[in-house]
Amino acid sequence: MIRTNGLSKAFQSVEVLKNIDLQVAANEIVILLGPSGSGKSTLLRCLNGLEEPSAGSVELNGIRIEPAMTKKQKLSNFREIRRQTGMVFQQFNLYPHKTALGNVIESLLVVKKMAKAEAVKTGEQLLERVGLADKRDAYPSRLSGGQQQRVAIARALAMKPAVMLFDEPTSALDPELVGEVLDVMRQLAKEGMTMVVVTHEMKFARQAANRIVFMDGGVIVEEGSPERFFTEPQTERARKFLNQLGEH
Amino acid sequence: MDLVWDNGLFLLKGAYYTLLVTVVSMFFGLLIGMAVALARLKGNLPLRWLARAYVSVIRGTPAFVQILIVYYGLVDYGITLGPLTAACVALSINVGAYLSETFRGAILAVPKGQTEAAYATGMTSWQALRRIVFPQAARVAIAPMGNTFIGMLKETSLVSVITVTELLRSAQLLVAQYYVYMPFYLGVAVMYWVMSTVFSAILGMIENRLSKAY
Ligand SMILES: Nc1ncnc2c1ncn2[C@@H]1O[C@H](COP(=O)(O)OP(=O)(O)O)[C@@H](O)[C@H]1O
Ligand SMILES: [Mg+2]
Repeated sequence: MIRTNGLSKAFQSVEVLKNIDLQVAANEIVILLGPSGSGKSTLLRCLNGLEEPSAGSVELNGIRIEPAMTKKQKLSNFREIRRQTGMVFQQFNLYPHKTALGNVIESLLVVKKMAKAEAVKTGEQLLERVGLADKRDAYPSRLSGGQQQRVAIARALAMKPAVMLFDEPTSALDPELVGEVLDVMRQLAKEGMTMVVVTHEMKFARQAANRIVFMDGGVIVEEGSPERFFTEPQTERARKFLNQLGEH
Repeated sequence: MDLVWDNGLFLLKGAYYTLLVTVVSMFFGLLIGMAVALARLKGNLPLRWLARAYVSVIRGTPAFVQILIVYYGLVDYGITLGPLTAACVALSINVGAYLSETFRGAILAVPKGQTEAAYATGMTSWQALRRIVFPQAARVAIAPMGNTFIGMLKETSLVSVITVTELLRSAQLLVAQYYVYMPFYLGVAVMYWVMSTVFSAILGMIENRLSKAY
């Protein structure tokens, strides 16, 4: 479903991702772990075309992005890839001038050109799915962080993405609100959604992941099943990372 | 003071032209400001450079000089504009530069995450601007825009020099006719003040309405 080949990304001259080969199969849940600054966000952003690779390629369902393409080709492929991926951000990034429902249906109206009545119906179903049917008309400023993030998930799901990308979806939340967001993600996983998740919730990672990908310094250091990664990490860097987590 | 009342209709006609020049210039200034702000933010290099030069020149020269150039200066190049047209052209170009700065700042004030969220759901950059960025930028821009509008209302008095019979020139003509100064100048001062105050109140209401939305 997703495949990167020798994906590298440099900002100015600083290489943030180096030669990343990542594959994600349909229905798979891949969890990206790694210390802060290791390039996890950048990798996710490359996967949905928010960042352009400096070298190598990104491919989603056969749609490719690579540096050799013309600008026009890239632009249209980026847009197609973004339509097929849902992205959930650490800071939610809900549209403050739209209600919960408005946030969810915005792209249905604008991108898919769906009729209003149909979009509203779809939107209401999605809000129901994340447990927020009663917040339909609330503006984001009136919602708790957990509720905002659930609306953001519903907004991403509205485009019927083939893959959902989560970038630390619970890191900006008060501890007591983390659970409700993780519950929604577990539900998605159960429904067979393909997911790539960056998180610091180790318990969730261990339970939900089909595969752990551990990054450090812009490279994939180690990958494998959660059992193996958490009980017998293969590399020194992964051991150090897990030890540091244990100290908190 | 009776003289002012007796010539009230004449002065009101002047006020009408003041309003006309203000509203027309503001309207075209808005369009120019929007286009220039977008050129500076999204345009290619030459376009960005051109837009910057325009803003710099207009903001760095007196409006008075700009009006004279448009009305008298352009004649040398075979472009002869009527006083009213010249006034509106000069002031539109002038206010457009200031508004473009307002709009640019307002657009930049919208967090980058908003655009990214819009892109992530498949919107084009134009769709993201129109549906997500502009509505949020408008809230930021509305107060400074209001100030520009009020400033504009007063700045129109400059075009009296190119024989547009707006409020100030109406007063000057009456002064020349009756040889008294104070009543007429006081009279138009009051009229400017009333118009500014009314517009401030209207803008205040719009601002309130906008800030209540979320
Ligand atoms: N737009 C950018 N410009 C310059 N440097 C960036 C940019 N985005 C990320 N970086 C750098 O890339 C590195 C990896 O960042 P990031 O992908 O956010 O790491 P993580 O998500 O793992 O914490 C960091 O050193 C960060 O400073
Ligand atoms: Mg990050």
